[in-house]
Amino acid sequence: MNVRWRALDLPLLICLLCLAVLGSATLYAAVHQGGISLWQRQNLHWLFGIGVFALMCVIPLRVSALAAWPMYAIALIFLALVPMVGEVQLGARRWLNLGLFHLQPSEMMKWALMLLMAHWFASREANRLKPLAIALAFAVVPAALIFLQPDLGTTLVLLFATTAMLIASGLPWRWFAFAVIAALLSAPLLWHNMHEYQRMRILSFLNPQSDPLGAGYHVIQSTIAIGSGGIFGKGYLQGTQARLHFLPEQHTDFIFGVLAEEGGLVVALLLLVLYGILISRILAIAARAHTRFGSLVCLGIASIFIIYIGVNIGMVSGLLPVVGVPLPFISYGGSALVTMMAALGVVMRVAIESENKVPWQRPGSPLL
Amino acid sequence: MSGLKSRQRFDRRVLVFHLGSLLILLLLTARLIDLQWIRHEDLALQADQNRIDVVPILPTRGEVVDDDGRGMAINRVLFQVQMIPERVDDPNKVIDALAIMLHWDPDTIKRLRRRVARSRADRPVLLDDKLPWSTVAPLAARLHHFPGVNVLAGTERLYPYGPITSHLMGYLSLAQPDDVEHGAMPNELVGRSGVERSFDTMLRGSLGFQQEEVDAHGRRVAVLDRSEPHMGKVLKLSIDMDVQKAAWKALGKRTGAVVVMNVHTGGLLALLSKPGFDTNHFITGLEEREWGAWLHDPHKPLLNRAIQGAYPPASTFKLITALAGLRYHVPLATGTTVCKGVLKLADRNLRCWKHEGHGRIDLHRAIVESCDIFFYEMGDQLGMERLTDEARLWGLGKRTGIDLAGEASGNLAGARPEAKRQQWYRGETMITAIGQGATDATPLQMARFAAALANGGLLLKPQLRADVPPDVQARVDVDPQNLAIVRQAMRDVVANPHGTAHAELYNLPWHVAGKTGTAQVISMSQDNQGHEEPVYDRHRDHAWFIGFAPYENPQIAIAVFIEHGGHGGSAAAPVAAAVIRTLAAEEKEKQQEPAPLQAAATPEPHA
Repeated sequence: MNVRWRALDLPLLICLLCLAVLGSATLYAAVHQGGISLWQRQNLHWLFGIGVFALMCVIPLRVSALAAWPMYAIALIFLALVPMVGEVQLGARRWLNLGLFHLQPSEMMKWALMLLMAHWFASREANRLKPLAIALAFAVVPAALIFLQPDLGTTLVLLFATTAMLIASGLPWRWFAFAVIAALLSAPLLWHNMHEYQRMRILSFLNPQSDPLGAGYHVIQSTIAIGSGGIFGKGYLQGTQARLHFLPEQHTDFIFGVLAEEGGLVVALLLLVLYGILISRILAIAARAHTRFGSLVCLGIASIFIIYIGVNIGMVSGLLPVVGVPLPFISYGGSALVTMMAALGVVMRVAIESENKVPWQRPGSPLL
Repeated sequence: MSGLKSRQRFDRRVLVFHLGSLLILLLLTARLIDLQWIRHEDLALQADQNRIDVVPILPTRGEVVDDDGRGMAINRVLFQVQMIPERVDDPNKVIDALAIMLHWDPDTIKRLRRRVARSRADRPVLLDDKLPWSTVAPLAARLHHFPGVNVLAGTERLYPYGPITSHLMGYLSLAQPDDVEHGAMPNELVGRSGVERSFDTMLRGSLGFQQEEVDAHGRRVAVLDRSEPHMGKVLKLSIDMDVQKAAWKALGKRTGAVVVMNVHTGGLLALLSKPGFDTNHFITGLEEREWGAWLHDPHKPLLNRAIQGAYPPASTFKLITALAGLRYHVPLATGTTVCKGVLKLADRNLRCWKHEGHGRIDLHRAIVESCDIFFYEMGDQLGMERLTDEARLWGLGKRTGIDLAGEASGNLAGARPEAKRQQWYRGETMITAIGQGATDATPLQMARFAAALANGGLLLKPQLRADVPPDVQARVDVDPQNLAIVRQAMRDVVANPHGTAHAELYNLPWHVAGKTGTAQVISMSQDNQGHEEPVYDRHRDHAWFIGFAPYENPQIAIAVFIEHGGHGGSAAAPVAAAVIRTLAAEEKEKQQEPAPLQAAATPEPHA
């Protein structure tokens, strides 16, 4: 095998191990009352995820790049199928239940789109109108489908990830500023086209106390959970908000509430530090990747992680509206975990392939 | 192309990603510090409010017993059957199984199935209520076969004597917002009248509290803290239910009131008003129709005649007139007059009840035979003011201060405000002297008056509680010789064959002294228009008897009042006889028991 063990990024691996331990312990706290079968299954997901991680470490990036178009196409077909056949299988999907489904086309699309963008911009710059317009089309089509599902949160996450990819690919700041202004101006139009429940959710985010038993309940309870944890927390398995089920969805989207209540500010900040290390390692690998594709893939993965982290914790702590986004490596959910492990595997593959090579277009690089 | 430029731009963008990620993490950090450090105390409090439920524990209401320990207001333990649907596999099957044990009919089963179907699955649903132990016992023994089914004990207030003690005991009802402001719990029962109201605080006890940890569904997870309630105290009354029952029975279907009082302590042995009502209905939720029926019943069952009804005392008032006459040495106190059955006063005739007249008559015989003419003249000699002063001395016209709400003060003819301003008409003074006119008194006041005659002039507060020291409200300044004269006359009302209560009270184990009264309902002259002949409508007369016994060593005083009962002697005195017989029999029984202390305290029986 052509795996060079020295090339494996050790800080990233240690960081991942810490996240696995912390995630497993937190999930146990969240589910132990109702039986530990969910916890055991998530441990199996971890084992499977590690396998996928190892697999991605050995699959050459060329092959991954080849998968970009097919993966995007499949995700798009699935997305298009959702309104037709998904009514039965996925139609009951609500933001509450997010994460219970093993195959989520919108989830798959985030990664597929990121991969396609990396592939598209590997040989192009985002400062030309034509490639930029085509790349935007890649994003707008699935975003529209997801928006119509309707899933406002995932749509926004997808658009954030796209924006990050465009910035990584050299989108001029002036154009970016122009797009932001245009988006702000079109916000009223968006509001007008939103579903009633989506408006309600945004309104309840702006004033959670207005509907304390309805849409605002989740945020009020998770805010209480986090705040009541204090600096050192209530102790492992001692969180009253979690133990007595005041905290909703506590093993999936709101699991940060359990961690912050029982571990307090200390453990919550420890988690943020681990995430920080993880992101900075991925960005470091992006910086020394020897192909532009590898760099862009790493930047895309890092952006998806930081978006997930920011949106999830922002939501649970009451900074953002409720959006169905998992907390990476902590929330229960097989497909999300395995996907993220695969993504990290790809990052690691970038590191392996870039070992002892000059980064792309650096002075001294053969491509220059 | 400018590959190097592209690379430089990329490196700058990686830095932007670093900074952007750092910014997001710092924002989250700031938020966490805000929640977990700055707002920690507030949110920790909210978390506690979420999970901690303070549940009041109602104390058991104290029971009320008579002087012999017999329950007058008791708590019956009753059982409730509840089911928590989500803890039951098939609620309908469980209902069917319970139906056999609890004897539900098919309609009930249907109704319960519907109720369970409509109710929240995680909360207890009431299936059956107010079950005696005999009914729930088979279920309780097999309860382990019915997870999710609970049997809970509760209490119900019961008044075993029903209408006999209705006015005395009063009733309870659920606390109103006003009571809640004064510390009652919304689901607590509060005394509304009678003893239940007067001694409510003592009977109610005080609440306990339980701090419970509840989950998001309101289910109790743990008990964190508990302070026990202080149970209501047992209230022992001086009432003797045998006496009360005897008086009730003796009144028969008639409307009236009886008060029996211990002449030494003021303790009441009986206090009743007829008709009564069943206070048990108040607890179980009174039908509005029933309440309306009581409210509009011409016999006014809700009125406690013993303390709330004030009636002309009629000839029983002659004792006051006699005492005043003796006090002020008016000529008739020692002299005589002639009763011809009628007395002319200006253009109107005042009549004696005995139309043919009593002939020559002195004070003693006037009391014994209740001569009206004698007392008209004595009243005339006294004047309204002295009559009023004497009546006041003996506690008339003023509330006795009994621990029951709504007591009437009665009325004294001479105490009317215009008394200060104008001369009294002679006629008005004279009819006041025989207890007619504007004077009226409650049976309780008259009983206390009789007790004061028996005990040498002590005006006692009528007591409902047993074992409380006597409360002497006043000592009437009366010459013992005068008192003896009146008491002798009262004895002869019974002992003398011509006495008005001789036939009814002579042949009793105890020697009784007393005075009858027959009150005209239509007043003869309350103002200047009363010039017509007095109307004797036999059916509208109120019957009175007041007295005490045993004459030689008085123990109890009694007042009997019968509305529209007819003559005091024939109507009211037999009720007193029933009471005295009961008391005498009780005493005899006590003496036969080997209870030396009791025997020493009670006086010799008088055959």
